[in-house]
Amino acid sequence: MATSPNPLTVGTPKKKDESFLDKIGTIGRKKKAKEASILEEEGKLAIESPTSPTIPDVGPEGYLLDELEERSMIEPTSKEDPKVQELIKILLDWINDVLADDRIIVKDILEDLFDGQILQKLIEKLADIRVQVPEVTQSEQGQKQKLQIILSVINRLLQLQWNQVRWSVDKVHSKNLVAILHLLVTLARHYRAPIRMPDNVSVNLIVVTKRDGMLQTKRIVEDITTINDDIGARFERDAFDTLFDHAPDKLNLVKKTLVTFVNKQLLKINFEVADLEAQFHDGVYLVLLMGLLEGYFVPLYDYHQTASTFDQKVHNVQFAFDLMQDAGLPRPKARPEDVVNQDLKSTLRVLYNIFTKYKGQGA
Amino acid sequence: MEDIFTQVREGNAFHVRVWLDNTENDLNQGDDHRFSLLHWAAREGRTNIVDMLIARGARINATNMGDDTALHLAASHGHRDIVMMLLHNKANINAVNEHGNTPLHYAAFWGKDQIAEDLVNNGALVGICNKFNESPLEKAKPKLGSMLKERALQLGQDLQKIPFKDRSWLGYKTRSRDALLSRHTGIDIKQLNLSNQVAVTHSGEMYRGQWEENDIVAKILSIRECTLRMSRDFQEEIPRLRIFNHPNVLPVLACCNQPPDLVVVSQFMPYGSLFNVLHGETGIVVDQNQALRFAIDIARGMEFLHTLEPMIPDLVITSKHIMIDEDLAKINIDDPKYYRKTDGVVNGIDEDLSARINMADYKFSFHEKGKLFSPAWMAPEALTRKPSEINQRAADMWSFAVLLWELETREVPHADLTPMECGMKIAMEGLRLTIPPGISSHMSRLVKICMNEEPGKRPKCDMIIPILEKLKQK
Repeated sequence: MATSPNPLTVGTPKKKDESFLDKIGTIGRKKKAKEASILEEEGKLAIESPTSPTIPDVGPEGYLLDELEERSMIEPTSKEDPKVQELIKILLDWINDVLADDRIIVKDILEDLFDGQILQKLIEKLADIRVQVPEVTQSEQGQKQKLQIILSVINRLLQLQWNQVRWSVDKVHSKNLVAILHLLVTLARHYRAPIRMPDNVSVNLIVVTKRDGMLQTKRIVEDITTINDDIGARFERDAFDTLFDHAPDKLNLVKKTLVTFVNKQLLKINFEVADLEAQFHDGVYLVLLMGLLEGYFVPLYDYHQTASTFDQKVHNVQFAFDLMQDAGLPRPKARPEDVVNQDLKSTLRVLYNIFTKYKGQGA
Repeated sequence: MEDIFTQVREGNAFHVRVWLDNTENDLNQGDDHRFSLLHWAAREGRTNIVDMLIARGARINATNMGDDTALHLAASHGHRDIVMMLLHNKANINAVNEHGNTPLHYAAFWGKDQIAEDLVNNGALVGICNKFNESPLEKAKPKLGSMLKERALQLGQDLQKIPFKDRSWLGYKTRSRDALLSRHTGIDIKQLNLSNQVAVTHSGEMYRGQWEENDIVAKILSIRECTLRMSRDFQEEIPRLRIFNHPNVLPVLACCNQPPDLVVVSQFMPYGSLFNVLHGETGIVVDQNQALRFAIDIARGMEFLHTLEPMIPDLVITSKHIMIDEDLAKINIDDPKYYRKTDGVVNGIDEDLSARINMADYKFSFHEKGKLFSPAWMAPEALTRKPSEINQRAADMWSFAVLLWELETREVPHADLTPMECGMKIAMEGLRLTIPPGISSHMSRLVKICMNEEPGKRPKCDMIIPILEKLKQK
């Protein structure tokens, strides 16, 4: 296994790093404004500068490999792959969203996560638990001990088989992108993060093995995400799961029925829907549909008629969900984010819910 | 603090004005003997206060427990200017009190010669007899009596004695209101004696009930889940709806804030809403004049609401939010045109109907979020832009134009469309009401002015009231 490429970390604590979280905490406790702004500045510096002066991308030549030792690294071009970059950005946004209340800002997926500090906060927030570990540790050993605890908590929570765990203390601590991505993607899936990750993201790895004193290299492709089929799949299984799994032919029939039902209403105001997945994702038609079925007009300022951003769309869908609940419909099982992310199953669930209540209504 | 009746008696005009400006004060309330403020002002000769009260919509013909009107009191105490002022505002000149006496009886008995003569000149009958079969002429001193007799003859009056008729059945309809009504804010739902459910609408369930010997309607707001915050907002918004100081505004009497139930209590109006009167099967005939009177009532109510600062938001002026009230004290019931001689029943009852903007139809900030049930009455800009971003008064004027259209055509605006269709078409496709032929050119011009596409170009309430008054006189 690889050792840390950052031996310099050991025994070089920097004063400002010691307690940046503590100090952010003190801001929360409403210190005097001036003091707070100084601390903020200091905290910002602390966040932006990594805990250890890393030399990024230490090549394999920087290490000595023992006989039969294997080491893998990402092909540099793979890191620049737009899909990988997109995935990293989405994951970063998600983490920052989750940790917004803690006033934690993560900027670099490797530099900010490897020491376990952020991972601790993340899992505490997601699982609503407390992990008993020292707040801030400087030594490599301390960091690894902490990571060990945190990762075992995560593995336990995710209920993974041993062969499904594609990360380790050393890999995370050595800022192994593949391991960290696997970890985050699995977390995001498990906790049903309201994000849509790009499909089929993979990275090319170069695997170096020392055999008979010679370095042998080979390239393999590591999949990070596959086809995005599992968003919102974590509620109890219902008819739609069965439908999707066992009767894809019937699915079209259901879709057709729903399209007919929906259009019967929407045509009254000169709208028509052909594609359930795409045309409902911004929530506008859902809002209009509720107004048509329940006999009211929704003023245009209460939703975004031409929703362009994710947030606007989520607002629309959430608003439509509220209207549905007002009308006595059960709380939609899907989340607004799933509909916005064009998850067909979620959209169908929502529409079917409406259909069941109003199908008897005439024109 | 001295009560308002004392202030009126003592002629403290400043205090009275301040009191009248407080929306929670009902200027038509009566004291323990149902003397209204107008009664006291007329009795004590407070001309300026009488003027003020009339201007604010005091009921001219309200009676006290002895069935005296303000005119009885002004006449017997010899306040000639007030007598003239009351007569000018359609006071019932031949009003009869519990003893059968008219104002002329009192003027004659107390020797208010000038006033007696004025009354006769204005149509007071010298032949009306009281319970003891005495006419005013018999109550007067000989000299005054003969003078009045002469005057009446000149005016062509039949000097035949008109016997006393018991009309105490009218009493409860004309007496001043119980002042207690406006003193309550929060009450217990159990006190309402709710009986039968009257209606279930989108905004809530309506029940009939009895409270403090008044017929009331209680609306239990439809809420999915009543949060603490809603209950707090409800408590905060209710006081603004308790507007007792304008005759064309129907106040919310009280509320019950008992989560999960939020209840709005208002007076029961047997005729229901204007929408009901115009389009329902009430059998009430709304002639051209009555329609204009309703329009003027609504305009006055709106004008008053527009003076409030800040204005009450989210009160859409639609015919469903206008209640029709019956108030015999508003008119001169002894006017022969209302009086059917055979059975003593009031005739042509519609004259006493007035329109009042119902504060109970206010939409609470937390209620029915994002839903407009009557877009047909709303200005296009009110459908598309936030209330805070538009001129609320101008938007109301548009709604008023739709009401005028409705009063003229007797049709429901955009009746063929559901609210969503109607709203989308008005907001997005420029759907507008068309004025059908057969509407008078004056009225159709007024509707057009009030429905100006440019909110800033729509008139204000004080500009349209005189126009409506003029139309009514024609």
